[in-house]
Amino acid sequence: MLTLQSYLTLSAIVFSIGITGIVINRKNIIIVMMCTELLLISVNFNFIAFSHFLNDLSGQVFVFFILTVAAAEAAIGLAILVALYRNKKSISVSELNKLRN
Amino acid sequence: MMLLEIIFYSFASVLICASLGVILFKNPVYSAVSLILAFITTGLLWLLLEAEFLAIVLVLVYVGAVMVLFLFVIMMLNINTEEEKSGFTKIAPVAIFLGLVVAAELIALFWIQSEQFSGVASLSNSDLSSNNTLLLGTELFTKYILSFEIAGFILLLAIIVSISLTLRSRKNVKKQVARDQISADPKQRVRMVDIKRGGS
Repeated sequence: MLTLQSYLTLSAIVFSIGITGIVINRKNIIIVMMCTELLLISVNFNFIAFSHFLNDLSGQVFVFFILTVAAAEAAIGLAILVALYRNKKSISVSELNKLRN
Repeated sequence: MMLLEIIFYSFASVLICASLGVILFKNPVYSAVSLILAFITTGLLWLLLEAEFLAIVLVLVYVGAVMVLFLFVIMMLNINTEEEKSGFTKIAPVAIFLGLVVAAELIALFWIQSEQFSGVASLSNSDLSSNNTLLLGTELFTKYILSFEIAGFILLLAIIVSISLTLRSRKNVKKQVARDQISADPKQRVRMVDIKRGGS
């Protein structure tokens, strides 16, 4: 029997994997952005599971908007990354201290 | 009913393995491909939850657009992957501990108070599943029309921002500059000379 808890547990596991990936990574901003996508997808999973089990369509509409904003966020983030790589020749997280001093 | 469980658990294990692959591969290209696999699996699991339109949109938008963008940027930046192997293990125990704590908290939250969730599960019937796209579109264009317009504006904003961030003008390239061409003044370019008639 597939209950709501099975879906929520799956999305919780994916969410914690995403958080681990963000913390574990010091060398590559692209991986951090991919882990952000993982977090977003697990949150969307929660919305869809609740929308299915509560029989309410508002959750799916909300997932639609989250997908829109996430696509815009990925595009802008990658543009910032390209601009950063042109200036610093590096995308390491631990070397991003240009705003200091 | 048994078939649904087999589908769910097999795709769930594929999803977990793919998302572990995102954070564990050294090469960012492998991570991106693994993330594509995670998105496709998530789309299939959303089909199981009767959200057909969003499953298709997830595969089209994410796999077709966003992940291609990621792969383009990875290949454009030319990162040497050899350097990244150092500095990975120092913070790894803290990160794994943090992830385990978050997972344990969430899962314990779901399973300790399970009677509330089982009450939720009894509400489910297949009322929404008749025509998912029609219902979603009706909802989107009536009740959420203002949010829909704002979402379109956000996408336009993303286009403008990413173009203006990455546009650069190169020096020493022969090209037309429309501004200079329009603002050219004939009085500065052409000099009228009186030619004296020959004296013969």
